[in-house]
Amino acid sequence: MKRSVFALLLSAAGAMAFSSAALSETPVNIGIVQATSGGSAALYGLMQKNGAELAIDEINTSGKLGDYKLVGIHQDDAGDRGQSVNIFQRLINQEKVAVILGPTLATSAFAADPLAQKAGVPVIASSNTAPGITDMGDYIFRTSPPESMVFPGVLAYVKKKYSPKTAAQIYGIDDTLMKSAYAVHKKALESEDIKIVATETFQKGDVDYSAQLTKIKAANPDILVIGGLAEETANIVRQARQLGIPPSTVILGANAAISNKLAELAGATADGFTVGSGWFIQYDSPKNKAFVEAYRKRYSSDPDNFAAQAYTSVYVVADAVKRAGGVSDLKKLRDAIAATKDLEANNGSFSFDAHREPAVTPKVLVMKGGKFILAAD
Amino acid sequence: MSAWISQFFASYSNIIDLCLLNSLVGYGLFLALSANMFSLATGGFMALGAYCSVYCTMELGFPFAPAVFAGALLAALGAAAIGAPVLRLRGDYFMLATFAFTEVIRVIALNWDSVTGGAIGIFSIPRHTETWHLALAVAVVIYVAYTLRRSYFGRAIAAVKQDDVVAQSMGVNVFMHRLSLFIASGFICGAAGALAAHLNYFIGPGDFGLVRSVDALTYPILGGVNALAGPLIGAIFTTLLPEALRFSNQLREILMGALVVAIVLYLPGGAMSVFKLRWFGVRAGETKLAAATEQAQS
Amino acid sequence: MSTFLQQLVNGISLGSTYAVFAMGCTLIFGVLNIVNMAQGAFFMGGAYFGLEAARLGLPAPLALAVALAGGGLLGMLSELVIFRTLRARGGHRWMGLVASLALARMMIGLAQEIFGTQVQRYPASDLMQISWEIADVRIQLLQVVLLLVSLLLMALLAFVLQRSSIGRAIRTVAFSEDVARIVGVPVGRTILATFFLAGALAGAAGMLLGNLFNVVSPFMGEQMLVKGLTVIILGGLGNVPGAVAGGFLLGLIEVFSVAYVSSSFRDAIGFGLIFVILLVKPNGLFSGFEERRA
Repeated sequence: MKRSVFALLLSAAGAMAFSSAALSETPVNIGIVQATSGGSAALYGLMQKNGAELAIDEINTSGKLGDYKLVGIHQDDAGDRGQSVNIFQRLINQEKVAVILGPTLATSAFAADPLAQKAGVPVIASSNTAPGITDMGDYIFRTSPPESMVFPGVLAYVKKKYSPKTAAQIYGIDDTLMKSAYAVHKKALESEDIKIVATETFQKGDVDYSAQLTKIKAANPDILVIGGLAEETANIVRQARQLGIPPSTVILGANAAISNKLAELAGATADGFTVGSGWFIQYDSPKNKAFVEAYRKRYSSDPDNFAAQAYTSVYVVADAVKRAGGVSDLKKLRDAIAATKDLEANNGSFSFDAHREPAVTPKVLVMKGGKFILAAD
Repeated sequence: MSAWISQFFASYSNIIDLCLLNSLVGYGLFLALSANMFSLATGGFMALGAYCSVYCTMELGFPFAPAVFAGALLAALGAAAIGAPVLRLRGDYFMLATFAFTEVIRVIALNWDSVTGGAIGIFSIPRHTETWHLALAVAVVIYVAYTLRRSYFGRAIAAVKQDDVVAQSMGVNVFMHRLSLFIASGFICGAAGALAAHLNYFIGPGDFGLVRSVDALTYPILGGVNALAGPLIGAIFTTLLPEALRFSNQLREILMGALVVAIVLYLPGGAMSVFKLRWFGVRAGETKLAAATEQAQS
Repeated sequence: MSTFLQQLVNGISLGSTYAVFAMGCTLIFGVLNIVNMAQGAFFMGGAYFGLEAARLGLPAPLALAVALAGGGLLGMLSELVIFRTLRARGGHRWMGLVASLALARMMIGLAQEIFGTQVQRYPASDLMQISWEIADVRIQLLQVVLLLVSLLLMALLAFVLQRSSIGRAIRTVAFSEDVARIVGVPVGRTILATFFLAGALAGAAGMLLGNLFNVVSPFMGEQMLVKGLTVIILGGLGNVPGAVAGGFLLGLIEVFSVAYVSSSFRDAIGFGLIFVILLVKPNGLFSGFEERRA
């Protein structure tokens, strides 16, 4: 009973906050379910929250939605599945959100997205790169290109440039995302006829990878493919070089390894580290330049691809609200989101394909002097 | 009004489900703690129950109820298997051995891809668990615990908790009493694992680690290990707290830690002791005696 | 052969951090017969104290002293806030476990609030880049230095326990609080000193590991606590030399199970082993050195 009193107070406070806005405005509630506490998930969650909130404020200031006002409701699920479900239920039934952005982790998505699907509330993820996310239903979208769209391109580039014959893999065995990234990497290596000479694993919280890397060094592979989050990847790269795995062994990473943290933690040893991404910071378009500048101004740090993808998600929503003529019918909103085509976005133009995946051309990025730059052919 | 109730339920049903589920686990630990078994095997038992029941429903096509029973049974078997050697260990050694069990189960779950899906887990699990299933399970377990306390078995257990050497000399088979309670605790945790697996569409090895085991212990300890309602109160409190404190991220962790410390320090009989202040001194004396005996034995 | 030797080096340098950390855990157990679950948080706290000191420009030995003192103060805090109160009340031993876990949770939350959730690293120095290659085996200067520091800390602890008056007091309290009281040992202060020593060792281990593996994060203590518990089972609860031997042993077991079995089963091997040891030799592999409570 205590809980319901608390909920009442909370919603009363919320109502008071909204009523201060002009009466003619119709709020469009957007749930932002991103982990901002609770370990490495927060690294990605915070970036996406920043990106989404920046976009919401920009759109509201621009007045391009007329009487509609976007209202971001951020909730932290701490990367915990049970809490993601709690939050989804409340956002859908209590806050009556028109759309949910998130959640940060794929495991949370598998538990919480079915609720939104059932209730007919669109969900747009901007960091889930595991396979099977959009298979959960026709209300589930993502602006983050899945690993299977990104990695084959990276490998093709590396193959063309270095013609490797052998590869070693190391991945986080207790991480859903990395386990599925590993499968994608393995399949791509096999289809490129590159022999896998060593496969090693690590677990969350590990800091010493030297035993695995010593084994890999003994197998002497031409390339090393890491399935790890940014902080893990940074340490693996650094320890690999320290153990004497030569620079001629090219190191490739997963999409989730892209973070400004990587260069900071790995330093010069990260030079030559190769990844694929749907977005990169130097992308030369007026829209992207404006985004990067606004982000830097507001948060005094550089955005990464997750911030960019969350930013794009909000613009997708705004565009769809306009075309659907409001949010009174979420089915119409869903159809409008699905029909997103050639929307001007920070990585050129953005469209959803028939499976609600982003139709972007992934770029190959190489680390050089602490920055990811577009790989030269 | 009814519209308001249905909206409330739609918004908070998962929280209610989690409260009940955690209470169920809490009673599993309540039984173990009633014979001084500080068990960290909960995560392992829940994993056994969850994976077994999901295998039964998704691969073998079992109906829900037999699948939950199969999961609970497997966990009880696991408890019987490790109980025999582990129960000879005292105090912290027992705790550490049960912890090792949980971790071994987790690593097996991570590596046995064909059954558990490894770290990717199993998704699209049919949602069979209804709120009333959980409520019924909690009610049954409370009833069993209630009858147990008033039976000969219950008094024997109380004697074991007080001083197992004396209990032994009075003709109580201490080992068998402990073992049967440990198996019962495993059964309940296994059932809870099976119900949890069919609640949220997805399970993965990360759900059943050390954190789960430690949380499960805090429910009865915070609520009170001497009161029958203790685990329920403790579980509801611990489940609602992170939701109530959602207004802040890091502060939430700090406040939760501080509250737990405060309860342990100032309400040593658990939250339920607030209602029984009259007997407070007596029970504090009891625990002092129990602690002293245990130290003398180790 | 060179791969074997390289793995040996890896195992020893990993094991040295385990050993330093586990000494603190086992010391508390030896004296008070309790497991302090907040040791992992002191480990994390020490790493941040050292990090902040290093960022202020303090030379490494001074930063290590800051980490030692910081970890030690956190240890004393846990005694003053939790364990002293619980002892006075005669609460059940599991109350200490639950309360110290909650304290650890508070400290992790606090660290996130102050330092952020992201992983940080110690300032890079040229010294850290030096390494030698002997017969295809890579040894970093950092590894050698840290091993020496670990050995120094172990020797220091042995000296304090065996030769100093505070060490004699600690050993008396470990033998029996009542006896200590009768012979005039200030029990309360001695226990406080024990918590300081244990926390200081955890803090030092935090800085050592943070330097060696380039990682400082609010969550770094959680896994270390698990390793520490494993080590003190290997070495015997309360057995300080056993913790040192157990630390190196666990480092080697982990590295060689990755090298010759499989990295996916590394932890299963570790935990399976402690399960078996608990059943077969519950006082640890090296039982029979330190006096334990009757």
